[in-house]
Amino acid sequence: MEVMPQYDLSRLPENTALKQQKLPAHRLDLSASVVLSIFFATGGFCLCMGVILILSAKSTKELEINYTNICANCAQLREDSSNFDKECTCSVPFYLPENMEGNVYMYYKLYGFHQNLYRYILSRSNRQLLGKDIWDVKDCSPFQVSRNSTPIIPCGAIANSIFNDTITLSYNLNSSIHIEVPMLKSGLAWWTDKYVKFQNPRASDLASAFAGSAKPLHWTKPVYELDTDDPGNNGFVNEDLIVWMRTAAFPTFKKLYRRLKRVDYFAVGLPAGNYSFNISYNFPVTVFRGEKSVVLSTLTWIGGGGLFLGLTYTVTGALTLLASFAILAIHLMLKRTKKNFL
Amino acid sequence: MALCAKKRPPEEERRARANDREYNEKFQYASNCIKTSKYNILTFLPVNLFEQFQEVANTYFLFLLILQLIPQISSLSWFTTIVPLVLVLTITAVKDATDDYFRHKSDNQVNNRHSQVLINGVLQQEQWMNVCVGDIIKLENNQFVAADLLLLSSSEPHGLCYIETAELDGETNMKVRQAIPITSELGDISKLAKFDGEVICEPPNNKLDKFSGTLYWKENKFPLSNQNMLLRGCVLRNTEWCFGLVIFAGPDTKLMQNSGRTKFKRTSIDRLMNTLVLWIFGFLVCMGVILAIGNAIWEHEVGTRFQVYLPWDEAVDSAFFSGFLSFWSYIIILNTVVPISLYVSVEVIRLGHSYFINWDKKMFCMKKRTPAEARTTTLNEELGQVEYIFSDKTGTLTQNIMVFNKCSINGHSYGDVFDVLGHKAELGERPAPVDFSFNPLADKKFLFWDPSLLEAVKMGDPHTHEFFRLLSLCHTVMSEEKSEGELYYKAQSPDEGALVTAARNFGFVFRSRTPKTITVHELGTAITYQLLAILDFNNIRKRMSVIVRNPEGKIRLYCKGADTILLDRLHPSTQELLSSTTDHLNEYAGDGLRTLVLAYKDLDEEYYEEWARRRLQASLAQDSREDRLACIYEEVESDMMLLGATAIEDKLQQGVPETIALLTLANIKIWVLTGDKQAVNIGYSCKMLTDDMTEVFIVTGHTVLEVREELRKAREKMMDSSHTVGNGFTYQGKLSSSKLTSVLEAVAGEYALVINGHSLAHALEADMELEFLETACACKAVICCRVTPLQKAQVVELVKKYKKAVTLAIGDGANDVSMIKTAHIGVGISGQEGIQAVLASDYSFSQFKFLQRLLLVHGRWSYLRMCKFLCYFFYKNFAFTMVHFWFGFFCGFSAQTVYDQYFITLYNIVYTSLPVLAMGVFDQDVPEQRSMEYPKLYEPGQLNLLFNKREFFICIAQGIYTSVLMFFIPYGVFAEATRDDGTQLADYQSFAVTVATSLVIVVSVQIGLDTGYWTAINHFFIWGSLAVYFAILFAMHSNGLFDMFPNQFRFVGNAQNTLAQPTVWLTIVLTTAVCIMPVVAFRFLRLSLKPDLSDTVRYTQLVRKKQKAQHRCMRRVGRTGSRRSGYAFSHQEGFGELIMSGKNMRLSSLALSSFSTRSSSSWIESLRRKKSDSANSPSGGAEKPFKG
Repeated sequence: MEVMPQYDLSRLPENTALKQQKLPAHRLDLSASVVLSIFFATGGFCLCMGVILILSAKSTKELEINYTNICANCAQLREDSSNFDKECTCSVPFYLPENMEGNVYMYYKLYGFHQNLYRYILSRSNRQLLGKDIWDVKDCSPFQVSRNSTPIIPCGAIANSIFNDTITLSYNLNSSIHIEVPMLKSGLAWWTDKYVKFQNPRASDLASAFAGSAKPLHWTKPVYELDTDDPGNNGFVNEDLIVWMRTAAFPTFKKLYRRLKRVDYFAVGLPAGNYSFNISYNFPVTVFRGEKSVVLSTLTWIGGGGLFLGLTYTVTGALTLLASFAILAIHLMLKRTKKNFL
Repeated sequence: MALCAKKRPPEEERRARANDREYNEKFQYASNCIKTSKYNILTFLPVNLFEQFQEVANTYFLFLLILQLIPQISSLSWFTTIVPLVLVLTITAVKDATDDYFRHKSDNQVNNRHSQVLINGVLQQEQWMNVCVGDIIKLENNQFVAADLLLLSSSEPHGLCYIETAELDGETNMKVRQAIPITSELGDISKLAKFDGEVICEPPNNKLDKFSGTLYWKENKFPLSNQNMLLRGCVLRNTEWCFGLVIFAGPDTKLMQNSGRTKFKRTSIDRLMNTLVLWIFGFLVCMGVILAIGNAIWEHEVGTRFQVYLPWDEAVDSAFFSGFLSFWSYIIILNTVVPISLYVSVEVIRLGHSYFINWDKKMFCMKKRTPAEARTTTLNEELGQVEYIFSDKTGTLTQNIMVFNKCSINGHSYGDVFDVLGHKAELGERPAPVDFSFNPLADKKFLFWDPSLLEAVKMGDPHTHEFFRLLSLCHTVMSEEKSEGELYYKAQSPDEGALVTAARNFGFVFRSRTPKTITVHELGTAITYQLLAILDFNNIRKRMSVIVRNPEGKIRLYCKGADTILLDRLHPSTQELLSSTTDHLNEYAGDGLRTLVLAYKDLDEEYYEEWARRRLQASLAQDSREDRLACIYEEVESDMMLLGATAIEDKLQQGVPETIALLTLANIKIWVLTGDKQAVNIGYSCKMLTDDMTEVFIVTGHTVLEVREELRKAREKMMDSSHTVGNGFTYQGKLSSSKLTSVLEAVAGEYALVINGHSLAHALEADMELEFLETACACKAVICCRVTPLQKAQVVELVKKYKKAVTLAIGDGANDVSMIKTAHIGVGISGQEGIQAVLASDYSFSQFKFLQRLLLVHGRWSYLRMCKFLCYFFYKNFAFTMVHFWFGFFCGFSAQTVYDQYFITLYNIVYTSLPVLAMGVFDQDVPEQRSMEYPKLYEPGQLNLLFNKREFFICIAQGIYTSVLMFFIPYGVFAEATRDDGTQLADYQSFAVTVATSLVIVVSVQIGLDTGYWTAINHFFIWGSLAVYFAILFAMHSNGLFDMFPNQFRFVGNAQNTLAQPTVWLTIVLTTAVCIMPVVAFRFLRLSLKPDLSDTVRYTQLVRKKQKAQHRCMRRVGRTGSRRSGYAFSHQEGFGELIMSGKNMRLSSLALSSFSTRSSSSWIESLRRKKSDSANSPSGGAEKPFKG
């Protein structure tokens, strides 16, 4: 090349690693040692994880009482929407065979309620719930305005269909002494929901701020009367509303309803014994062939939950380990034949 | 530019009056300005958009966009489609604009070339674009002809001028054009300025060798033919100047009429991709239908009851109608199975590969200072699938330089030091070239490395002297002496030029000739020989002789000719010499040299007189004059004394044999299609043909029956031997793909086919083309000689049509344009004078040898990368989209998406685009050196193994498998679990984030597995994409954005809440493991149980060494060979007569000669007659009209 220094080499491509496709690079080779170590590591990890998860899932206690049929008369009453103002209460006694220690959470669980329908999910007004512009109802179709054209607050299908049973739990020490189990109405929702996503309009008095609006069709009381005792839990920031507004992914879901207030008898949790749920039955489920139940549950480090994750981990771990041994065997066999070949 | 494109009604006839622009303007003929560009600034946007929306994919996305604007069925926001669509359209538009800009530039460059135009009696410099029909322009030597001209006059006598038409038809020998006598006298400007003749002729057409018109001047009519025309694209040679009248300009010229708009080429992957996209559409519709039925049933069973909470839309009156709407909604959300970014990504990858070709230093030609250029950016991966290469010869395989290489004189061979292949690298090892300084007339450019030959001359060896005397006398070269000692030879074939130049340097300088004499400076002394007769060359005789009388009065016949002919006509006494010369000839032929045998014969005075008388008689005979003359010639050219033999090297381009050997190993079949009369030598010298071949079939039949018979025989022979030899040799390539076959194995037992142009014409007829193809494809090498440009294209078309194989055509001249355009891939050799081939080509570089790199390295990689890219792309989109399908069963088929709509918008264009692009651009499976060492690595591309329908279904299956796990594992977990603070986990938004995150992680791990070559860029893109995903996720879910647009960013706080959950991470890890581990296991097992060659190459060093050893032997194949004479194969008949009549002598030299006008006109007549004869005879098939 040094023979022709004077030549005009302006068109000579640059000799850079990129342009000559010689970038320093690591070649990914699935060598046996790498693959086998990945497999054994993954298998071991999954298996251990699975066992841990199963053990911790076993340590939680859960109790579910389906009251759809237990409160059949109320259910029947609710099937006719004209009876919306009639009260119907229902008491569901049950026996807790062993103590539920630690934090106990009370959930309501709905079967067959589709909170994940496309139009349902969209039918809400975040601007309104943010308290910025409470008259913004344009995204709330088909529950934007009431029959007399006043804007609904909170508008939309989600808010309209709020779960409005009230459930209280009473501890029956004996046939005469019924202690109402103290429950917390706070800490049910995410911090961001409670303090960012939902805000009341800035007004001294909620009722006047919402004046001129209509309550949702299915609601018995307006939004500013959801919790008259606690102004921090009233209006849009009412945690039951917030929990409901966080729509569920699947038609069967449970939402946190109350937390056990660990005082007195219940300082360590729920003691074994007789209890009863006192339910004010407002939410109709039989119209769409749904069911509802109430769930009491304790948690572990990972949260509550079933065996699914633990079992899947265990199965995956076991299969991966099996595969690892199979691969090892194949590898060793091939190695021998190759040696003979070479 | 816009002026160039005026639309006119079709012309009936053309009228052009010289020097009368006003008159000619009436007809509004096209100006000489050419336009190949497509847009200008104003038309760019509408035209380009119109073109882009002709793409099915773009229209489809436009259609989707319209669907999304209908509120009842819109299941996704409009921006999910419009953002990618606009992005895609913009990228394509920018690319088109750049392409067109370069077209404008090249147009301008051509249009602004200068030529001298006679305006108002003065010669003026004008740009080409301003030359008009009817102008008279002056051309000088070596200038390009600016437009189609009628030759008026020239510097040469009788208005002759020489042109090279390589640009037009690829023929490299010079052609003669002559002005009609009446205008040939218009030699000076004042006369020309007064010339006001009018030409009426045919309208513009693309027939290169036909022209008919009439010149009306001074109330006389003069017929005009193609013989009077200079066409645009020709180059004036050996003619100082000439004047021409512009008849056709710009787009009307025959050159431009021949270069039709390039067909848009698509690769087979493109076609496959389109088919697959159609299938995916079908699949999409099926899914849509399933989900729509599901929706109708659900609405009927559940939805009606659920109306308390969610009444139906006003427009919906029945479950059926709801299902119908949901069909369209699902079409919208599932549209990502046909990703809009697919097409644009493919384009980007191809563009990247094109840049790698442009940037490749190893494809940069130092000598011509031209880099390789990918002119089309849409064909790269097809370079990895080529099965047939059609190559031109002259200028592509050879340099069209003839070099006097070796000679055998009186049984002694000279010139052996020279390395046959002419490797430049070995220059240093050679001794210095022979010093010719003793000879003031020597040509400095002539090099010879064997000093013993010069010594022999200096020693006064009579044989050597006679040898060079023959070379300096027996030829039809014209000499020109511009100043004392500065000699220029005008040879009509480069072979002759090389021989005469050799003689010149060895001290036998052909100085000048007159019709009756030849003056030669023999070692410094001028000797004038009397030229008694030239026994001219023709194709049957394959020899030429001169009869001269030396100053001593002795008459001698000197003859040179093809060995096959000449060796039979020698005197028996030369038997001994004959055998040693034959040995030498064999040796030369083995090296692929063009050989000639030289002989002489002394004639005594009486015999000559008597013979000359008979010859005169014969030449005056009315009937069968040719035959009689041939007889007479034959008689005198017998019992000659052998002098020796010459070997001329048709200089190959660098590295041609190696390249051909390598490409053959890569299972690529190479066909040489050449306009030359003889290409067998080249076949041998570039190792396409070897003497180890079982047989070389030569088809030369003149009639349909003969050709058919010859083809049939060839097939029979091949069948017979494959029965007897067994199938050890044939078809071994395809079967033993993993076995490395050595060079010798690959060539042994092979056949080759050589077919002539006129036979090819028959072979290409509809009823025989299949037979021909079958025969040709069974052969390892195919050489077609004397092929017209049209036939070249036909051959390519034939293979394309029946073989379903990817074809590549490579050539350098305008005669290759049709073939280059027809083949799947056209490659032009750049750095030559002509640029027609390059302009028509898809790739260009300046050396044939770069083809191996283009195919085996760039092509292979491109194919590999494109296949990996497509597999991954379909996989990732199916994994992404099918999740919606499964979710449909849980959300009442309401067309609810699983993911956030921003995720849907960004998934294809941000989160997953760059890693796969980086893989598509940079991936390498084996280093480039290995691709060259193991040509078999090229095979998967030819067999289309890496991406086909099967691979596609595997990818799809993997995608669906991933989507199932991606949906059902989180579903299983979420159905029961709660968060660690007791609140619900299974809310829709958390589920969306979990699935989206695991999807991004799984596809990132997958691309990590697919990327075989992790450069810093890959690292950056893969890790960057993950980082960007999380960054965007957190940004989209941030409080700030929510505060500003609460209705748009509904997912506020979701990322931080969901991704803080151990359950979510455990789910993601589990999903990833379950999706990836089977892939790893499968890959590893395939690698160890059924490795393909590239895997083996990566691992096995041992095999590599073995292969290298084989490589070394490759260069030393076959030294001996069958004899093939290359005598003057680009020679034309008739020049002998031309010389004897003195017609082409300059006036100055003619002054010395006894020159009679009468005989001269008869010469022209006879030359014309001969030309028309040959054109009409069947043997002239090759010269048949070239129909563009």
